[in-house]
Amino acid sequence: MIKKAHLTQWLDRVAQGYDLFGPVLDGVVQFERVNSSDQLVFDYANSVVPPKNLFLPQTECLFAFRREEGSIILEPRGGLERERVLFGIRPCDARSLLLLDEVFNSDLEDTYYQEKRRGTILIGLACPSPPQRTCFCTSLGIDPLSPEGVDVLLTDLGDRYLVEVTTEKGEELVGLSQELFFPSAEGEKLKGEKGKSLEEVGEKIGSLWEDGYWRELSRRCLGCGVCTYLCPTCHCFDLTDVGSTLSGKRFRCWDSCMFADFTRMAGGVNPRPTGKERVRQRYFDKFSYFPEQYGVLGCVGCGRCSQYCPMGIDIRTIINEVIARGAK
Amino acid sequence: MEQELREIVRKLLEEGAIEYFIGYAEGFEPLHTTPCFIERGEQVQALVWSPLCPYNLARYLHQMKNGAGKVGLVVKGCDARAIVELVKGNQIQRERVVVVGIPCQGQVDLAKLEDAFEGVEAVEGKGDTFLVTVGEKVHSVEKERLLREKCFSCRHPISFEYDFVLGEMSPLVYGSESEFAMVEELERLPVEERRAFWRAQFERCIRCYACRDICYACYCQECIFESKAPRWLEKTTTPLDNQTYHLIRAWHMVGRCIDCGECERVCPVGIPLRRLYKKVEKEVEQLFDYRAGMRVEDLPPLVTFAAEEPALSSRQDRSER
Repeated sequence: MIKKAHLTQWLDRVAQGYDLFGPVLDGVVQFERVNSSDQLVFDYANSVVPPKNLFLPQTECLFAFRREEGSIILEPRGGLERERVLFGIRPCDARSLLLLDEVFNSDLEDTYYQEKRRGTILIGLACPSPPQRTCFCTSLGIDPLSPEGVDVLLTDLGDRYLVEVTTEKGEELVGLSQELFFPSAEGEKLKGEKGKSLEEVGEKIGSLWEDGYWRELSRRCLGCGVCTYLCPTCHCFDLTDVGSTLSGKRFRCWDSCMFADFTRMAGGVNPRPTGKERVRQRYFDKFSYFPEQYGVLGCVGCGRCSQYCPMGIDIRTIINEVIARGAK
Repeated sequence: MEQELREIVRKLLEEGAIEYFIGYAEGFEPLHTTPCFIERGEQVQALVWSPLCPYNLARYLHQMKNGAGKVGLVVKGCDARAIVELVKGNQIQRERVVVVGIPCQGQVDLAKLEDAFEGVEAVEGKGDTFLVTVGEKVHSVEKERLLREKCFSCRHPISFEYDFVLGEMSPLVYGSESEFAMVEELERLPVEERRAFWRAQFERCIRCYACRDICYACYCQECIFESKAPRWLEKTTTPLDNQTYHLIRAWHMVGRCIDCGECERVCPVGIPLRRLYKKVEKEVEQLFDYRAGMRVEDLPPLVTFAAEEPALSSRQDRSER
């Protein structure tokens, strides 16, 4: 356990030895680098942009290149200067990182992602109650009070936090201020409630490839990037060279399957020519392709897509519709 | 009013006067409605109306461009301005759109509502108040506390012929502050501070393009931001790229922004885009004595030329402003 009054003291100690990231109010709540705990906010539901941007930045320079006397010289970019600590990640987002690990650490390891992932210790914050109106992690088998995927989890118990340490790295962090922590009385761990399971969406969606629902849905959809960019598990990117053929930089930047040009080929052909195919793609990816490849649904129930969709499109409504319409 | 609307739409559909009707339906929870497309008479029960219907449905008229049939839709006074501009821009033919005007008594700002109440089940407008239902209780709240910012400068087209009107279409009158006050507040700052203000805003931009995609006026066949050859803007989200994006969009809205405020509403990272576009609106009004969305007959300043453009005739006048 740690007293609430002592939390900032601990985090300031952490900030001395690590690059500390946490929730700050920058127009909206965002995970950003801080120098001291004064900059952090503690009363928040979740960040608008998910913490994936600390591991897969929206814009990331991979290397610089230049041509010199007949050869091409590459200068690698990236790399962390110091080990990082991310404070305040929620259990849904912690799970999303485990899903991204599957993607970026499969047959070919993505070194840019992995070095940030390995070089970052996660201090999770169990979710406050009641949840946001758009939260539905419990319907996907996620416990909003679970330490899964984090090194340390803090659960708010009024004037103190219950501290669960799950890894050696977590022990190291706690060890920095051992004097602030004290043992807990038994039975203080809360349990998250389970919601109605929506997991059968994965078994049903496959039968709905030709269903009229996708067109219906796409009429409302504007094709903007809000749902994908704010999704903690969406991870598509595009590579782009900035500069000239003589010198420049190669970047990778987030891209979105909702954009019309996402699948447009060089000759102008687009295999997903209308909103219908694009909307269908997003939900098939979450509930069919991702589970097929990695054995788990590609959604963690954070609810950001529902919360921020400009037109009020709600992923839970879609899941329920798929379950109602689909066949196993 | 809802019942009246449903009957009109049922009739239109059953008579075959329109192919489909665009309206508001219940969303996933009481605070969210969502746009809906009604194709058959028996679907009209889905249509709802409340102070929680922010969507400017005229945006969906982009979809009818290639068809031949008629489409109906419900519009608030502010949304009607988009129809005026779409007609002016030859994007739709007025006779192909059946416009049902709905007297809006002001729209609720969700953030303000959520700050004031938890567990809201319904909101209804009544005179100068909103009736907010929370559980068993109905709270009566002064409108000014919950109104969306844009509703304080409510203004309709001066002459617009609705095909149906569900009551009297009259602008709200609230607040005494000039509609450009938020622009003037920035204008008073030294240029460095102004630049710093916008830079900090644009730095947050994640270039999801929701502000562009929701805009009634963004109907270019190829958007400049998607052009690959030449490529005007990279996908990189450096502060300069983001600023370039927003400033190009602002220039493209000259004489076209109708202040529906949808861009600001949908921005997930809270960039105060209305301020930017109000600035554009203010400049156009002062230079050309022109406002977008008022009358179909008005000529947009950038597609016309007057030898004696009053506001441009004297450089002195300009520099004094």
